[in-house]
Formats: sequence, structure tokens, C-alpha cells
Amino acid sequence: MSKSLSGKYADAAILHVSLTDRSIRREPLSPGLFKGYLGGRGLGVRTLYDRLEPHLDPMSPSNLLIFAVGPVTATSVPTAGRFAVITKSPLTGTVFDSHAGGSFGAHLRRAGYAAIVLEGRSTSPVYLWINDDRTEIRDGSGVWGKDTSVTTSQLLQETDSQAEVACIGPAGEHGVKLAAIITDRHRAAGRGGVGAVMGSKNLKAVVVRGTTKVAVSDEEGLNKTVERARRLIKKNQVTDKSLPIYGTPVLVSLINEHGMLPTFNFQEGTFNDAEGVSGEKLLERFSVRQYHCFGCPIGCGRISRLGGEEVGGPEYESLWALGPECGINDLEWIITANNRCNLMGLDTISVGSTVGCAMELTQKGKLDSSLRFGETEGVLELIDDIAFRKGLGAELGEGSRAFASNHGSPELAMQVKALELPAYDLRGVQGHALGSATSNRGGCHLRSYLIGPEVMGAPVLVDRDRTEGKPELVILFQNLSAAMDSMVLCRFTSFAWSIDDYAEMLTNCTGVRISGPSLLVIGERIWNLERLFNNREGFTSRDDQLPPRFFKPLPEGGSRNRVVHLEEMLPKYYALRGWDKEGRPTKERLKRVGIDKT
Amino acid sequence: MDLTVEKLARMIDHTELKPEAKHEKIKQLCEEALAYRFAAVCINASHVQYAVEMLKDSDVKVACVIGFPLGATLSEVKAYEAKEVVRLGAQEVDMVMNIGALRDKNYDLVKTDMEAVVKAAGDAHTKVILETGFLTDDEKRKACLLAKEAGAYFVKTSTGFGPMGATPYDVRLMRETVGPDMGVKAAGGIRSFKDAIQVIEAGADRLGCSSSVAVVEDFRWAQYSDIWMQHDKPCWTCPSRQANLAKQPKDVYLYYKQRCLTCPDREQNIFND
Repeated sequence: MSKSLSGKYADAAILHVSLTDRSIRREPLSPGLFKGYLGGRGLGVRTLYDRLEPHLDPMSPSNLLIFAVGPVTATSVPTAGRFAVITKSPLTGTVFDSHAGGSFGAHLRRAGYAAIVLEGRSTSPVYLWINDDRTEIRDGSGVWGKDTSVTTSQLLQETDSQAEVACIGPAGEHGVKLAAIITDRHRAAGRGGVGAVMGSKNLKAVVVRGTTKVAVSDEEGLNKTVERARRLIKKNQVTDKSLPIYGTPVLVSLINEHGMLPTFNFQEGTFNDAEGVSGEKLLERFSVRQYHCFGCPIGCGRISRLGGEEVGGPEYESLWALGPECGINDLEWIITANNRCNLMGLDTISVGSTVGCAMELTQKGKLDSSLRFGETEGVLELIDDIAFRKGLGAELGEGSRAFASNHGSPELAMQVKALELPAYDLRGVQGHALGSATSNRGGCHLRSYLIGPEVMGAPVLVDRDRTEGKPELVILFQNLSAAMDSMVLCRFTSFAWSIDDYAEMLTNCTGVRISGPSLLVIGERIWNLERLFNNREGFTSRDDQLPPRFFKPLPEGGSRNRVVHLEEMLPKYYALRGWDKEGRPTKERLKRVGIDKT
Repeated sequence: MDLTVEKLARMIDHTELKPEAKHEKIKQLCEEALAYRFAAVCINASHVQYAVEMLKDSDVKVACVIGFPLGATLSEVKAYEAKEVVRLGAQEVDMVMNIGALRDKNYDLVKTDMEAVVKAAGDAHTKVILETGFLTDDEKRKACLLAKEAGAYFVKTSTGFGPMGATPYDVRLMRETVGPDMGVKAAGGIRSFKDAIQVIEAGADRLGCSSSVAVVEDFRWAQYSDIWMQHDKPCWTCPSRQANLAKQPKDVYLYYKQRCLTCPDREQNIFND
């Protein structure tokens, strides 16, 4: 095998690994895939659509697990060290991409790869060791059963201390549908059970060390663009002040003031003890320092002191899920629980939300358990039980929708398409609500982060209660997010950059002239292809729905008396998307965005 | 409106008036003004000499505030300050009106105060800051007329340190009062391109912003959606919503709040947004 000659993304390779027969082959990145879908999420979605049989069991050996980077990865573009994991989700049954920071992505790209496509199932635990252009499938039995931190330390000893590890914990090994893939000990490709797919292949980890310099088409142009991009990050209140100082938990106070901090499993939107779990309190009590992912000038990550130990996090979503969602106000305990999830390789959002669901089921007499809102006793042990599929934990590990349905109250699962909704009560944000309902991967805040314009005023404050114009705005942000996820950049950059900035960086890196509008077309293409995938799996407009709770008003707080007006927005959204009433893309629209279904 | 990023930038006074601003901040301000071709930098007197040197070969002007931010000093002091900063190279001076005198209806003092600065500024253009948040509508109109009579080039809404920022309502009132031949500068609280466009549509031909870079950079988003310019709830941009008893005299505060009672949009004023 030989490395890419130029170091440019167009010459990067895709590494195909069969864990069944242990074959490894390297193929060039096809120009059509690169130009049509960029990389990351787009590359993964196109590959899955082309190669997966419909209705495939996500835990079967035939499912693909793709680690992908993008055309700007490992360049000087800020935040360009991330990677995407793309697979068919065992939790949602949809096509799924989950992203993580750290430096793993940069190493993968520097090893000469645009993506690793893993298929099959090993008969015994293994890990993949990519050392520049050498790739080995190694025995992983020595780390099987170990938590993600021990696994990381041990594999770095076995390989190269300068390498990066992406691994699963016990949760992934046991096929828990809430299992994450963890890199650098606390950065997670968290959502959708991507860790369970990895575990189903008996793949404990991917370890990569890449040392080749990445080349771009227009280095001088990129230097200028990046200098400007960094300046814009320094000029932006969110990226220069709020996130570096408080991390993402800065949102606790803001979202609570808006009456949108889901409390007691979304029964309320205001948490009385929000101040005690706020970003400000985290800074005062536990934060040791910032954590920066590769090439990131923002540094939104936190390192917290817990006893005598330093641990990663918590992020806003994790802090909410393990805190206010469950009525818990003990910040130290939340950090402990967050760390436990990271060690076990679990998605903090889905774990917290599913435990919150169980607490409400108990509260309403539908479940006989000791779980109580506001009480932490037994919850850490329950997290372990989820990871090891023991007792009640085994049930919870199937996700809130399955769990609540099994106990006769599916309406108490706060999810869309079986993915647990994150930390924003949708009654307070109409556009964000529509974005959540129509998300191709289920309940997710990142497909179209309208908290920016609807709450934070970025780039402009729009009326969060109005429905007019929201379908257009959701589509704009969904398309942009799809493009950004395919460049594989951090979402936070969009507070400081405009669409044209992304396009310019892409042009500088690849030499392919891409304008802002044409970047959005690429995003739209990816979005429609995801929709086609999901349609093929049987998803229809019936799945673009929200839990019934969002159609009854909150009794108090900053979002009181509000409900989601999905019925007004959804038909307009479909019409603007060029989809039929069942939410299926029309032939005309597919042609317009350049999708060849065959 | 036929507005481009470049045209918008040419309407902005890139502003840094904080007392804690260090030399490095003024350097950055000037560099950004050059890069974006803003109309001017608006700064405190102690930074004028440096800014003039930084901007000497450009069409970016140096504007300096006078009697800032209270406007309550002696006319002679304001005039001396204006004369000195113009001598140092300032091409525009933004003076704060004697607000208390206007509220006392001591119009002679208000006008002579303005005239003193206009005269001292010479060829430099004078902008008169009304600090609208301390005034009723009638007082704003009177202040505009006095500034016009005194020979000022612009009337300006606010210092950015007072009780209210620029609102489209006040800008419209000021434009209607001074007519088309005098400048109206909106300043204070203009943080987004939507804020900027709203006051431009209301009649402002110059804007004072400390978030100028974000305003012009974010304006690039405008081409991708019309929703940014969707009409806000009326209360969002109304001075009455901004009224604050902790920052305003009781009579002024009540003047604004009592207007809410007869406002045609009062049904929308639910204070839950």
C-alpha cells in the first residue's frame, strides 16, 4: 500500500476493512464522491445508501461502520480535527452520523485517509492499528471489558504514545443501544448507538497515528482565509468569551431564563436550582482548565477536578441530562455521573433522558423502581447496569421509546424517531421544534441549531414564537449543517462565520470552486439522500412527529402558555423541500439536487 | 433597500469608548476600520493623535466625543476639548448636549453650548448627542431643532452609556424633525445587521457601533434568507420597552410606560417574549 502522493484530499484513500476475513484494501476516493458529497457525513451517507440492503439489522455483520474526515481536516482551518462516524443506527433504524472532536480525525487524515469503511464481524475481540500507511488488525482481548480510559492508556502503550484512540467501553461491547465511541477519554461520538455497532463487530478500538503533512490547493489563499476566520472567532462574543470562559454549560442560565430547560423529564421548563448547576458555578467550583480539540481556538471543553482526579466535561447537554432532566442539582454528582458514562462508553444525553423517563414512569405508578426525581441514590450503579445490560439497566439500554412503550406509556419518552431529545423544551422555540421533528437522525439539536437565531440572536434574533418563515430557516440550517458535517467542522464556528466563509475555505483546500449557494446545494443533496435512505427503511411523515407533551402548554416560566405548532409548519416544510405529503422527495427535486437513485 | 456590505460599512462609525480600552484596542479598531472601510472611528480624546496617525492615508475619519458621556460640563470646557482634538486631527466631533438644561427648558444655554462646540470645531463636523433615553418626544424634537439652528451637521441618538439605545422610533422622529439635509446618527445597542437596517430605514445615515465587524460580517447571511428582516413584535424596538426606572428620572420613565396604555399594539405587550 502506498500513501497518497500529493497529500491533498482528492488523493486521499478509503481504507476498506473486513473484520470477517481480515482483509484490508485501500481504494482511491472517487472524484464523484468527493465533489458531490465532500466527505464525513456526506461520504458516509452516500456509501451506506449504495451498499446497505434495505431493512438490514444494524447489528448484523453486513452493517457498515464508517469513520470519515473531510476535505479541510488537518489543515489550518480552525476546528478541523474532528471525525464523523456513520452507520445505520440500532437505536433509530435511520441512517446516522455522530461526530467527535479531539485529534483522532487529524491523525486519520494525516495517515492518508478520507475514511475507513469497516464491515463484517471478527470472531474475537480486535482493534485496528493504523500507523501511517501500515494497517494491522490486532488482538483486542487484552482490553475487552475495560473502560474507555484504561483501554486508551493500554492501547497507547501497545502502539505509540503519540497515536489517538477511538474506542468503546463495556456498553458498546454489550450491544447497548445508547453506546458511544469515545476518543481522548472524554470526547464522544455519542449518539445513536454507534458504539453498539462497533461492539457488534467485536472491534474494541481504532488507533491511528498519522504523520504526513496534508496539502491544500491554494496555501496562500487558505492562509488569508484562515487568518480572517480566526479574527472573526476572536470578534464574536460567543466564541471569544462565553464558550472559552464557561464552556457549553454557559447555556444553563440562558435556557433556564427562557423557560426552556427541560426539568423532570420535560414536565417543566424551569429548574429552580439552575444556578447551582450553571456554567458560572462549574467555573467557580470544579473547572481546572479549558480543553481544546485539534486546531481549535475556542476551547469550549472543560477539564474538571473531581476529588483528586481530573476528568473531562461536563458539556451542557450532559450536565442537563444527568441534572435538571432528572431533577438533580448536585453538580459534583453530575460530573461523577458524566465521567462514569464516558468510562462506560455511553451517550450521556440518552442515558439521562431515559433515566428521567424511568423516574416519571415511577412517579406515575407505571414502574416499580426506587428511582425518584432529584435523588441520586442508586443512579451511578444504574449507569453501570445499563452498560453491562443488567436488571433494569438492560431495559433502559434499549432507549426511552422502547422502555416507555414496554411500560404502557410511550408518550413519556421524550424522543423523535427513538433518539432522545436534548436540552431544549421545544415549546419555547418553534423553528427548533420543526428542526427536531424533521431531523433525519431523530431527536437532535445539531441538525438545525436554531437556538442560535431564536434564543441567542446569532446572527440575528428572530421571534422564537412565530411560525412564519421557520420552515425556510430550518431548511437553510439543515442544509448548512449537512455541508459542515461533510467538511467535518465544529458547529460552533457558525456563530462567527457565514456560509461564504465555509465555501471559501473549501475552495482554498480543494481547488474546486465552490460558492456559498453551491455549498448549500451539496448540503441539500446530502439531506435528501438521508431522507431517501430513511424512506427506504419505511420512515414516513408519521415519524416527523414530536411527543404529545409538546402540544400541551408549560404551566409557568419563560415559555409558559406555549405549544409547538407543528401542524402549521410541517406541510410548508415539505412543500419547500420539494417532498410529497408523506415526506418523500419528488423526482424533480432529486434531479435538481443531483441525486441519481440508481 | 439597495444595501451592500460595502455601503453598510461606509455608514458606520466604528466605536470604542470604554474607559478601560487599552492602546492595543485602539490599534485594532483602526486596523478594522481600514480593512472594512468604515466611515470613521469614534474614540475618546486621548486616543485621537494615535488614530490620526494610523488612518492618515485613508478615507476613514477620526471622530472624537466631547463632554462625554454626561454632557454636563461647562461650554468652555467642551469648546476647548473640541478645539484641541480638531487640532490633533479629528475630523468629526460628537458632543453631548447639556441634557439637564434642555429638561429645564433653558434653551439658550443648550444652544450656546452647541454653538460653542460647532465654532471651536471649525471645519470639523459636529454631531450633537441628545441622549434620547432622558427625554420626552417633545424634548427630542426641541433638541433637534436647536442643534440644527446651532449649525451642527448631525443629531445623534445616544452615547451608549445612557438609559436607552437607538430605536427606529427615535430615529424616525429625529429625521422628521431635522428634514433631509441634516445627518441623523443612530448609536447605542446596534448589535446586528437587522438593528442596523431598521434604523437606516427609519432615516439614519450614520450608525455608531462597537459591534461593527459583526454587523457587516453577519450581513452576508442576509442573502440566504428573508426571515432575518421579518418584522419584530412592536414592543421589541419600542423605547417604552427599554424604559428603566433604575436608569431614568421618574417622570421620563412614567412618560414612556404610560404610552403603553394607549398603544395600538398593547394586546401584543404580554412581556412573555
